[in-house]
Amino acid sequence: MNKRILIWILSCGVLIVFMFFIPFLFRGPYVTHVLIFTLMNIVLASSLRLINLSGQLSLAHGGMMAIGAYTSTLLIMKLGLSSWMALLLGGFFAAVIACLVSFPFTRLRGMYFAIATLFLTAIVVLTAQQWRSLTGGPLGIYNIPRPDPVIIPGILNITFASRVDFYYLVLIIMLVSLTILYAIGRSRIGLVFRGIQQSDSLAESVGINTAGFKVLAFSIGCFFPGFMGGFYSQYMSTINPDVFGFLPTLYILIYMVVGGSEKFAGPIVGAFVLTILPEVMRPLKQFQPFFFAGVLMLVIFLMPEGIVGLPKRSKKVARMLFEKRTKHA
Amino acid sequence: MSIDVLAQGILNGFSAAGIYILVALGLTLVLSIMNIVQLAHGEIYMIGAYSVYYMFVSLGLNFFLALAISVLLVGGFGILLERLFFRPFRGQPDRALIISIGLILILQNVVLSIAGGVPRSYLSPFTGVLHILGLSISWERLIIVVIGLSLLVVLFLFIRTTKTGQAMLAIPQDRDGAALQGININQISAVAMFFGCALAAIAGALVAPLFSISPTMGSFALMKGIAVIILGGLGSLPGAIVGGLILGLIDGIVPVLTTLYIANLMGFATIIIILLFRPQGIWGHE
Repeated sequence: MNKRILIWILSCGVLIVFMFFIPFLFRGPYVTHVLIFTLMNIVLASSLRLINLSGQLSLAHGGMMAIGAYTSTLLIMKLGLSSWMALLLGGFFAAVIACLVSFPFTRLRGMYFAIATLFLTAIVVLTAQQWRSLTGGPLGIYNIPRPDPVIIPGILNITFASRVDFYYLVLIIMLVSLTILYAIGRSRIGLVFRGIQQSDSLAESVGINTAGFKVLAFSIGCFFPGFMGGFYSQYMSTINPDVFGFLPTLYILIYMVVGGSEKFAGPIVGAFVLTILPEVMRPLKQFQPFFFAGVLMLVIFLMPEGIVGLPKRSKKVARMLFEKRTKHA
Repeated sequence: MSIDVLAQGILNGFSAAGIYILVALGLTLVLSIMNIVQLAHGEIYMIGAYSVYYMFVSLGLNFFLALAISVLLVGGFGILLERLFFRPFRGQPDRALIISIGLILILQNVVLSIAGGVPRSYLSPFTGVLHILGLSISWERLIIVVIGLSLLVVLFLFIRTTKTGQAMLAIPQDRDGAALQGININQISAVAMFFGCALAAIAGALVAPLFSISPTMGSFALMKGIAVIILGGLGSLPGAIVGGLILGLIDGIVPVLTTLYIANLMGFATIIIILLFRPQGIWGHE
């Protein structure tokens, strides 16, 4: 058992080191762009899993990204705050909104909650379209400044002029976020979340404040999309309400479910595969959506536990086949 | 603000409500019986509009004949969808949700590659204006109200008087109990899906003369449908009607008085406020 853990840690380490070297292996702005989006989606899908851990299916991620993006952008452009401060505040603001909103929402269960949060996204997007004086309306905001340069005299001078700088930034954000999410999932709080997921009323009966923990899960889970929304705005240097609508929300959900929401690695694998896949399928042109949807449905049909459940499932299938064969022999 | 304009707004509201109710009834039927939020419902609505368009405009059939044929076709398509895509995932709402998202992608792109992205439209077979009490009412909006009302009556008669209809009420109340009483849940699910898709197809066909039809028209209907069933209470048929009326009237009257944006915000705000006091919607139950 100890050996296995060691192998896990080693392979994770190798993977992380490899990711730091990727920009040297694959040059070109297009590849870097895709990679940046992949890492962003990994954070988004993993944070959605944290909410899902407490038995809530949230469809508010697009709205939370919009809140974070607009908050941080406005803080930078109107109040002149440092971009790093603004990123954090964007995340916190999303978490605060999530916290306030989820108090009435905790009374909604299952699909009711999912639809109510989808609605939250609709309201946020509509507000961003409507509030022209603040958000620029449907056209959005242009010329968002890059992140403030990180300068340590003599050692580092990162100006965020190239995409590679952004790649390293999002890589570090991803590593920190995943560490936090993993730690929360493994902690006592994570255990309580799982308890609520398995049986709401049982958790309540042993004295757990289920509503409080649900609000907590939703708020923490919404901090990350808020933060990533801010990152998105600084990376793309332009935002408009349409980029945060239902489609991104649904895609994040797809990443999580296709990867497998049970395991921590699920959303990571799902986001990675499904962000890279459409890019690989680009030569198919207008048939690309069919293939994407086809892959999606195949995974849902064939892999009940998502892509990460595949090794376990294939073992099961192999054992079944093997046992049959021995019986006949 | 003249009374005439306000009355026009109210009538527009009722015709909008008719469409919303037709879409929402299908959504809520599928939700309550199959426990699945069928996000591709808007695409069914879009396919309904296109199939009537092709039969009415391209083949030159009588409008009602075209409507009847496409309702049967789309309803049958719904049964097919239930059997192939939704039955394996009953009791797993999140996986079913992803399947329905996949269906959105596929159906939208199939229609896009057949019909092209150019928005189309056809003239309503009911042209002309009805003058009553000094008000002028266009027939195409009136006909939506009339058809919507008559469909409602038919649906409620079906549910109240037939055994299948009673089964459709029993399943959401207690799935296991219903199954123990000998209700075939698979069969009822297929029936629910047929009705849901048929209603959506009718809504799409009725809307087509008012707005243009395009492969992406479904998302609007889906959003309104979801808003209505949240407002009325998920899975509740009377709730869908009340919710549809409220939302339709808001969408009909408020833009006449102010702007479309305010109307949209009003719709959302109403729903949020009602949810704060009744988390299960107007007609829903825990």
